[in-house]
Amino acid sequence: MARLERVLEFISRRSIRKGWLALVILFFLSFVIIPTIFVLTYAFTNWNAIDSVVLNDPVKMSMITNAIINSFEIAGFVTLIDFLAGLPMAWIMVRKKFRGKQLVDTLIDMPLVVPTAALGFSAALFWGITPGDIVNPLGLGVVSSPLLLLILLHIVFSYPYMVRSLSAILEQIDQNYETAGRTLGASPLTAARTITLPLFRAGLVTGIILCLARSLSETGGTVIALATLSGSGGYNTGPTLIDGWKKIAQNTDPNYNAALAFVSILLIIIALVLMIIIRLVMKRVHLPMGKVWPRPEKLLSRGFFPKLKDSSTMVFLAVAVLLPSFFIFTCVFVFNPTSNGNWSGFGDSIIYSFIVAGVVTCVDLVLGVPLALYIARGRSKRLPEVIDTLVNIPLIVPTAALGYSLSLFWVGGNAVNSDIGLLLVILAHIAFTYPLVVRNVTGAVEEVDPAFEETARTLGAKPIQAFRRVLLPMIKSSILAGAIMAFTRSLGETGATRAVVSNANTAPNFIVTLITKAPKDLYSAAMACIILIAISYVLMLGLRYFTRRRKGAI
Amino acid sequence: MPSVRLEKVEKRYDDIRAAEDLNLEVRDGEYLCLLGPTGAGKTTALRLICGLTDLDSGKVFIGGKDVTDLEPERRGTALLSQTYSLFPQLTVAENILFGPDIRDLPEEQRRRTLANMLDLVRLTKRPDAFPGELSGGMSQRTALARALASGAEVLLFDEPLRALDARLRISLRHELRSLAKSLKITVIHVTHDQDEALVMADRIALIRNGHVLQIGEPSQVYDNPVSPFVANFVGQSNFVTGRIIEKGEKTVVRTESGMTVFARQCAMEMGEQVVVGVKIGNTEIAREGDSFFEGIVERVLFEGRNLHVDLLVEGTIHFSAKIPSWRLGKLASGDKVMIRWSAEKASVFPMPEKGLREELKVE
Repeated sequence: MARLERVLEFISRRSIRKGWLALVILFFLSFVIIPTIFVLTYAFTNWNAIDSVVLNDPVKMSMITNAIINSFEIAGFVTLIDFLAGLPMAWIMVRKKFRGKQLVDTLIDMPLVVPTAALGFSAALFWGITPGDIVNPLGLGVVSSPLLLLILLHIVFSYPYMVRSLSAILEQIDQNYETAGRTLGASPLTAARTITLPLFRAGLVTGIILCLARSLSETGGTVIALATLSGSGGYNTGPTLIDGWKKIAQNTDPNYNAALAFVSILLIIIALVLMIIIRLVMKRVHLPMGKVWPRPEKLLSRGFFPKLKDSSTMVFLAVAVLLPSFFIFTCVFVFNPTSNGNWSGFGDSIIYSFIVAGVVTCVDLVLGVPLALYIARGRSKRLPEVIDTLVNIPLIVPTAALGYSLSLFWVGGNAVNSDIGLLLVILAHIAFTYPLVVRNVTGAVEEVDPAFEETARTLGAKPIQAFRRVLLPMIKSSILAGAIMAFTRSLGETGATRAVVSNANTAPNFIVTLITKAPKDLYSAAMACIILIAISYVLMLGLRYFTRRRKGAI
Repeated sequence: MPSVRLEKVEKRYDDIRAAEDLNLEVRDGEYLCLLGPTGAGKTTALRLICGLTDLDSGKVFIGGKDVTDLEPERRGTALLSQTYSLFPQLTVAENILFGPDIRDLPEEQRRRTLANMLDLVRLTKRPDAFPGELSGGMSQRTALARALASGAEVLLFDEPLRALDARLRISLRHELRSLAKSLKITVIHVTHDQDEALVMADRIALIRNGHVLQIGEPSQVYDNPVSPFVANFVGQSNFVTGRIIEKGEKTVVRTESGMTVFARQCAMEMGEQVVVGVKIGNTEIAREGDSFFEGIVERVLFEGRNLHVDLLVEGTIHFSAKIPSWRLGKLASGDKVMIRWSAEKASVFPMPEKGLREELKVE
């Protein structure tokens, strides 16, 4: 007891607390932020290489331009469709009560935790016209354009972000405003459109940024979908271009490093600039929502139209999001089992992925919670504000570019042996999952009145005791939710992993390899996808359990 | 029980002076009310004492010991915030035992403390209730028990009665004070309610712009205010301005509009510009008879026991009187009345540097 007392005494010293905080901030800067954007320095140090290898090579230049245009084209369409289909869904989830709402709520979240590699395979089999050696007769087989297929795929996993962001805001908007509008004679549609909708701006910004970032950054599912679609050769997005060139740079032609750096720089800069513009524009622009058309709006508020809106929203969810996600399960019946499937390889890759995700989550928690506390409790000061903004960067930067930047930072973009490779994969995953934990915990801490901890201090509690006994019980569920998010994101990530070590043995990478490398082993790939989906589903139930508990407790 | 002393404490937030040359001495076992308008720096003073806010310069002493660099948990000063901050995940009993648990007291001692405390604050029937299930009064008593159980010898109350409804607030005033007195603890109680301060305090410290203007027993602060601001904040006052034309047992002041008023003896010089202040309760109005000057009744408000009469008087900012309500019906708006007061009820203040209007401003 006395020893414990002394340990408590020691870590409660001001100098120790300051030192620990400095360590956390140092970790954040040197392991998360700087590696993420380190590639930008490449433009200054190696401009000559970029100039000779990329700028003077019209073939590469046109590949880069096309890939980036494709990326933003896809992201733009996806975000627009997500918004149009997500808004009525958010409305239904917040304002309506119906049987099975809990189930719908769970289903909407589902694509958030399923590894995109599995989703990509599933959606491509469902929509795409596939070459002779990949045939699932139950699939629709209607889409031949890679652009359209990728839009449809990206909708699957970005749609939940839009619905979540919009409904989070809608829940906070006081319905009394709308009721007041109704008592003043507005029809339901007019009231919703002119009163509630303009209040949506904050949620809309979050939703748009999340959808854009997710779509711009997705690699694994995109690579698989393109490989599954017939006649998609040569079609690239930014991340798939990095993915492909990384392999070349690592195996055959190190000159490609300059090209990789150039694409990464472009993607990072464009993503950041876009984000800043969206924030600024959305803050300034006032949507012209004041104008009212009483007669037609009254008509649209009655009878048939609201029902049409609600049912088409549900149909969209079923056809565009759920069916493509779960279509993979039909493969069990359709594909011929492979006799020589590499199951021990898959087992190894699952273990590898779990080790990575586990270590990553632990590091995120130990070093992320203190940073979140620092941000949430230091609102008035300059440094916490700056860090709060910096935390968002790894969330926005496409993970393939992040991965390449990180490998450039730690090992100069060179190939490494498998031990260092594991370490690098872990570092890369920390970089983009760390902000998830920090964001979640910061939000939770900000909702807790600092008076609780302060009162505990005046009652004789040391800072660490005040945290453990008073604050921790109140934010426990958010910490767990953040941890599960970090874990599932790490488990499902492809782009960053392959950009760091192109042959890292993670589960998503294993699936990508099964499909993209000859001879294709579709049965094993499908089974691997199903197993990954099952694991993710269990994790997701955990996530829902903990997030629901939070709502009840406070 | 320890005394508390603030010595030349300074604290700034950007350009707001939350504490400026703040000096305050609270005696052993004293019940001190820190009274002031919103934004005067009352809460900052409490936070400086318990160490939750770091000061820019100056010193804090508790029990004669310099605690300026001591962390909050070592000062023995328990804070009761406005909302009580009962830990929502803990029961009443667990909340009360928070301090003893932290200090890892033996089981036997903990049980005894809990029993004593529950008994003291009359919560023996609800030890297993959660804070969300308690009424306002019970929450307040739980917070008090928790503070006492922590072994704190100085209690800091930040508007402890604010969240309660009016009737309960008044009955709890006496309860809180007598409890503190019987336990002989030192209490610093922050409030912006002058009635609360007058009833509860051994001494009142009046604070404005982070600076103590006056400290003294309630009657002293009420009857002998040091400035027009104090005179007006603790019981409303009427003011007239003018020059001293005669000094002696009473002071005679001539106003700019040529009226002559009396006030008590003062130390100021002949001919000096001064402000004469008199509590509205000590302002007499009559239909006829001796008077200093005349006024016109603007409106009469019925307050139950009293009538509040607003008057129009030439050369003043605002003028009112409080008279017994049996006179209702004998006064109506537009009536001309004679105004006077007895000389010993009126105080004389030097003219404030920034003028009277600025001096009386309450942010």
